[in-house]
Amino acid sequence: MIYTKKSPALLIIGVIMLLWGWLNASGSIDGVQKYLQKSAYSDHMKVKEKYDAELRVATEMATAEGKPAPDMKMPKSKFDGVKAQQAQLAYIFGGIAAVLGLLIMVWTPKEGSLDYYLSIFPGMAYILLIAFIVRWGLDPTFANWGKDAKDTLGFDFAHIFNLNYVVLGIVIGIVIVNVFKIPAWAANGVRTARFFLKTGVILLGTLYSATELAQLGGLSVVMIGIFVLGSVWVVLIMGKRMQAGNSMTAVLSAGMGVCGVSATVAASPVVNAKAGEIAYTIGTILVWGVGCMFLFPTVGHLLNMGPVQFGAWAGTGILNSAQVAGAALAFEPNGIETLKVAEIFNITRVLFLPIIVLWLAAWYVKHEQGAEKVDLGKVLLAKFPLFVLGFILLFILSTLGAFTPAGHYQGKYFSSDKIKEESLLKGKETRALEGELARLKDAAGAKTLQEHFTAKAINVGQRHATPDDAYKAMQDLVANKKMISREQDELLKAVAKMGGFDAVAKSAIEKADKAAWHSSKAIAAFRDWLAWLFAFGLIGLGMQITMAALKQAGGKPLIIGGVVGTAKAVGSLIVVLLFVKEFI
Amino acid sequence: MSEQQKFERGTSLSIFVSDRREDIGALIFALIIAVGVVLIIGR
Repeated sequence: MIYTKKSPALLIIGVIMLLWGWLNASGSIDGVQKYLQKSAYSDHMKVKEKYDAELRVATEMATAEGKPAPDMKMPKSKFDGVKAQQAQLAYIFGGIAAVLGLLIMVWTPKEGSLDYYLSIFPGMAYILLIAFIVRWGLDPTFANWGKDAKDTLGFDFAHIFNLNYVVLGIVIGIVIVNVFKIPAWAANGVRTARFFLKTGVILLGTLYSATELAQLGGLSVVMIGIFVLGSVWVVLIMGKRMQAGNSMTAVLSAGMGVCGVSATVAASPVVNAKAGEIAYTIGTILVWGVGCMFLFPTVGHLLNMGPVQFGAWAGTGILNSAQVAGAALAFEPNGIETLKVAEIFNITRVLFLPIIVLWLAAWYVKHEQGAEKVDLGKVLLAKFPLFVLGFILLFILSTLGAFTPAGHYQGKYFSSDKIKEESLLKGKETRALEGELARLKDAAGAKTLQEHFTAKAINVGQRHATPDDAYKAMQDLVANKKMISREQDELLKAVAKMGGFDAVAKSAIEKADKAAWHSSKAIAAFRDWLAWLFAFGLIGLGMQITMAALKQAGGKPLIIGGVVGTAKAVGSLIVVLLFVKEFI
Repeated sequence: MSEQQKFERGTSLSIFVSDRREDIGALIFALIIAVGVVLIIGR
């Protein structure tokens, strides 16, 4: 079978990407980028104003001293950075696509590995082009529309309905596969989506600190333990009552309880599940998971959940690894905190797989007459998802300092002296903080502060914050000219959000927060890689959600799955809202 | 033509012949990215 289709598509995609790179590098589309990158452009104008003022002063001084005008260069702004990054990525991937596109046009493919692997590139370039359009074009456009319509509608529809690159990418993928069909030249490459999602999950291991894992690990084991084991148990009872068949019930309980498709596949040989039963289970999981992927982030925004709460909920309530990642990124598309929390829960759930398989084997042998015992060890060794161990391996390597110097994670800078001199607070800023401290210490100020803490349920560690905590934190900030602990940083950020808080003092707190939380360049690069890997994988995932696959769900499995899935989602939401606090 | 028949290698969801190979491939690729970042950008 020949996989490589002789088509100019890859070459055309390459040329489009190269053109986009050139348009950005030459500044020809600055007008469009000004609209799309509003916040970065506003930063650019500030940098320009500052540069113009400094240049004017330097020129005047040089003229007064009879010296030639100074040769000053304007510093790079965020806007310059955004354009440079788009140009760089477009040149790299456009160049590769154009070269391989030419090769496909001139080469006569022969059956074999070269043909097989070369045929993957057009589909990959197709997804990547969609990712570029969605991340660089549609995402900022919808964000602008959402903000523009906020005054009329009363809410930011783009934020509430999660119209960001993650959701838009998945929706475009679903529309392409179900309405237009995937072009034959792209079919093979679309199958790489899951590979890149798995790579993303493994690479995520580089971003965890041991402290975060220790804080979340206990919580995730308790929550996942309760909800996974509970779901399996309820499905087994419901399946028996509804007479869904032993193997059907068992395989569905693994899918609904643990981690969707992987668990279904791992449990199927243990309970002798038939191909039709596996298809029913996967269809049910898919129907449920796709719904959750779109619904969870909207509910999260409406309930004003934070990254820890939402991550814990999505990681517990959603069944499939890819859908957990999709929901977490849809909730927080421009950050990675929610994804990190959600994946800890997701990984913990997958680690429960051996326990569930053992349980189901025992249950099946007990309930099915004439059931043969299978070699559980062999099944687990063959079917356990290895990428979970890959995630753990990268986490261990990063903890040992293989990728960044030990302790080079966010939050490290509270206790170190490695904050640059220019990032320390200046006299004007500390004076503004002292002024606010005096104002908040009088009776009216203290009352307002206490009311603000109560209304926003602000904690210090595990207890409610008091005005004295805020006074101490502000005094420490003034004395040290930087944040000295994560707790004080969180507390002062909450204080700065109070109505009537002095603008200079607020900006001082923001500056000190930024200085304490900056990441190493390697960490920033890992985050960039992750954003692209997940964007690519999720667009490809959308292209695999066909109506035919969704129709595989139905009958008793869908009823049982719907009841248990809803109970798990609602139950875990209640537990998260009651017991999980934003503490990292 | 069914999804399974459309590709002689792998499945409709993956270019790899098995989930295990896909996982190993993803692990190798993740390690390449991690080492690449360290070598090019520095720690």
